[in-house]
Amino acid sequence: MDFFPRICYDYSVMSIIRTQNLTYDYIQETDEGGEQKLRALEAVSLDVKPGEFVAILGHNGSGKSTLAKHINALLLPSEGTVWIDGEDTRLEEKLLQIRQTAGMVFQNPDNQIIASVVEEDVGFGPENMGIPTEEILRRVDAALTAVGMQEKRKNSPNRLSGGQKQRVAIAGVLAMKPRCIVLDEATAMLDPRGRKEVLDTVSRLNKEEGITILLITHYMEEVERADRVIVMDGGHVVMTGTPREIFAREEELTKLRLTVPQVTELGHLLRKQLPSMPDCVLTAQELAEAMMAAAPEAFAAGRAGKAENAAGPAEAGGAAQARAEEKTETPAPAPENAGADAEAAETAAPPDAADRPLLALEHVSYVYDDGTPMARTAVNDVSLEIRKGEFIGLLGHTGSGKSTLIQQLNGLLAPTSGHVYCDGQDVHAEGYSLRSLRRRVGLVFQYPEHQLFESDVLADVAFGPKNLGLSKEEAQEKARLALRQTGLREELWTKSPFDLSGGQKRRVAIAGVLAMDPEILILDEPTAGLDPAGRDEILGRLRAMQEERGITVVLVSHSMEDVAEHCSRLVVLGGGTVRMDGPAEEIFVQTERLEEAHLASPQVTYCLRALREKGLDVPLHARTAAQAAEFCAQALAASAQKGGRP
Amino acid sequence: MKSITIGQYYAVDSPIHRLDPRVKLFATLVFIVALFLAQTPAAFGLAIVFLAFYVHISKVPLRYILRGLKPVLFLLIISVLFNLLLTKGEVVFSIWKIQITREGIIFSAFMAVRLIMLIIGASMMTYTTTPNQLTDGLEKSFGFLSKIHVPVHEIAMMMSIALRFIPILTEETDKIMKAQMARGADFESGRLIRRVMNMIPLLVPLFISAIRRAGDLSLAMEARCYHGGEGRTKMRPLRYKAADYIAYAVILLFLAGMILLKVFHI
Repeated sequence: MDFFPRICYDYSVMSIIRTQNLTYDYIQETDEGGEQKLRALEAVSLDVKPGEFVAILGHNGSGKSTLAKHINALLLPSEGTVWIDGEDTRLEEKLLQIRQTAGMVFQNPDNQIIASVVEEDVGFGPENMGIPTEEILRRVDAALTAVGMQEKRKNSPNRLSGGQKQRVAIAGVLAMKPRCIVLDEATAMLDPRGRKEVLDTVSRLNKEEGITILLITHYMEEVERADRVIVMDGGHVVMTGTPREIFAREEELTKLRLTVPQVTELGHLLRKQLPSMPDCVLTAQELAEAMMAAAPEAFAAGRAGKAENAAGPAEAGGAAQARAEEKTETPAPAPENAGADAEAAETAAPPDAADRPLLALEHVSYVYDDGTPMARTAVNDVSLEIRKGEFIGLLGHTGSGKSTLIQQLNGLLAPTSGHVYCDGQDVHAEGYSLRSLRRRVGLVFQYPEHQLFESDVLADVAFGPKNLGLSKEEAQEKARLALRQTGLREELWTKSPFDLSGGQKRRVAIAGVLAMDPEILILDEPTAGLDPAGRDEILGRLRAMQEERGITVVLVSHSMEDVAEHCSRLVVLGGGTVRMDGPAEEIFVQTERLEEAHLASPQVTYCLRALREKGLDVPLHARTAAQAAEFCAQALAASAQKGGRP
Repeated sequence: MKSITIGQYYAVDSPIHRLDPRVKLFATLVFIVALFLAQTPAAFGLAIVFLAFYVHISKVPLRYILRGLKPVLFLLIISVLFNLLLTKGEVVFSIWKIQITREGIIFSAFMAVRLIMLIIGASMMTYTTTPNQLTDGLEKSFGFLSKIHVPVHEIAMMMSIALRFIPILTEETDKIMKAQMARGADFESGRLIRRVMNMIPLLVPLFISAIRRAGDLSLAMEARCYHGGEGRTKMRPLRYKAADYIAYAVILLFLAGMILLKVFHI
């Protein structure tokens, strides 16, 4: 039996993971009752050396998760071979050994924790392996220390954050003493903080313990730490190289439904103006230094200019920031035009119908389990006004009260104290129909595809309008309109929603709320778990709806890049209160205050900041990399002009 | 929804928490038997003292335990009312056609006390024992059944997983319910058949989610080398300690006391 693998291994360092012509077909039943093969992987040949940190990138459905399952022998190849530490995964007697060597962390934190106490879960693997009791305890201890979860060892996993749960899952794998850990989109369901926790943990394990890491993801920012990046598409490996080599090929990545980090994108755009820039930059600092090296005169001139008195665009940026700081001190919301005073708005209590906000929260507080010892204030004295046609970004880290707040907006939760007004009427007053409120205020929850239930797409989308008392035909008409707006292809409308891809399901679910013709559409992280192209499509559609149909949109998001690009106004929550509220470009430039709320500015803001520090006169409020590049071009032109003058 | 505390492990370190789950299983069994032996105030008194002692050293707050009674409160009130109104005997007072009898009051009071104590007694087991320990205890206590091909380990594993997923699925139910309410669904009004039909938008996604979770979980278990109970070792194997023998003695003393009270009808 050992004969075959030995011949294949003629390397000085034996690969920990090696696949040769790995091909895998899913068998799917067709509607006619026959069988149909779906090729998920085709002729994948890989070689991973011990101690390497390899990232596998690919859009949803590119075959990367199928590949991951082969490494743990959860799937066996249809053709070709997979060797883990020299063992063919098809050998049944080696199965347990292979699974110990290559441990796996899955996407959903809840669905991979087996025990109800952290330490018992970490011990699950070693118990299955038949390891003696004392040794299990030692391993569990070491594994929990390695992921920094020692003090939570007696806790219930249900009380942990997503990032902590994934760290427990990693500890569960570590306790089996693996040589390799495969993370199958293990960060996809986490918030930025959780993602960082998990990545820091695996980076450390890779560096300190020499454990091979295979990180499967579609978050481009995460692959920077990798030694090598493998890009997959349609079951093939299409690119391989260092993160720098991969990110330099932005156009190809875009075709593969991927993007590059904003910093790199800005670098590429700047390179068009300054050809001597390197073809790939990964950090803001690097970008600033590269640009300074490429156009030193602009920075020198800028420095001199700054000494005299900042002129032109720099002033505009500074002024915007100053204005924003002044405004955000008062928690009352400010309308679009920056001049309006928040206090004046508050004293004018009964506003005219014309500029009456569509929806208003007045000193709303919400306490969970009120009156019990477990009482917990989630929202604390929040006042907020939402006006027609706004595109609001609602930001806040996990636990900041976002989810509770949006449920106040359509009456799913009634405030413990305070009032909610829709068109000037108190929605919790007697006789007010909450159903009519819910019709006007559409709420799309996180992972809305989990609420699909009908036998075909059209019927599912028509569920909402039907509940409003419309006839079947009218409801279906509304459904068709909504589906068109979300951009779902017509041939999919008669399919079962469960046969669609993740991104398509997401659109069906959003259409389900949209079909009720809401005036305000609130979406809780509508792009969670989608690949970059899927994210852009959903956000683009929302933007179009807001612009063309005048729908007011409230977008709850973790991604500062997304809200900075699309939203006109940003509201930042922290600890259940409104920390900041104002026009988007005045909010996202305030890096320090955002960081205080455990958020961050968009990457481009950090780049522009770094450039300013180096002496380039650029404003900070660029919404996109393209706009930032434009600002830089203007700054370069201005300095050239100045330089031309004697 | 989140306030369901019945059956949820209460993480605190106490002598009861440290006891061997087999002892607690035995205690629960004895306590249930004892409650059905109890007929007199004295017997109930002894059972109450035993339970109070049990709760006190377990360090589970009384408030937490009482909150756990909330879901069964309705059942409790109904059964008490039936017993109060329908028991014949010496009439204490009557309003219109309703007669309240002496026997009815005594009977329903005993009934209420017995039911409450039964629920508390049984849930003390799950408050102080993690599902995994409970599973271990059951597996070991009933291990002899595997000789006659009863899949004891598998049943125990299923139980412990079910307990782990109760809070997750409860939360999910809440979420899906709200999501459908946001789409105008109505779960509260209408006649019975209408209401059952209205549950479909809640139940279908819930089942699908449960099935998806089951699939994910089985993969995760396989990936961590789970292959049934064969050759499995334990991180915390069950070994009796001195405290466990003392507990057995206390439980047996209590049982003896209850039997004596029953025999002599005190």
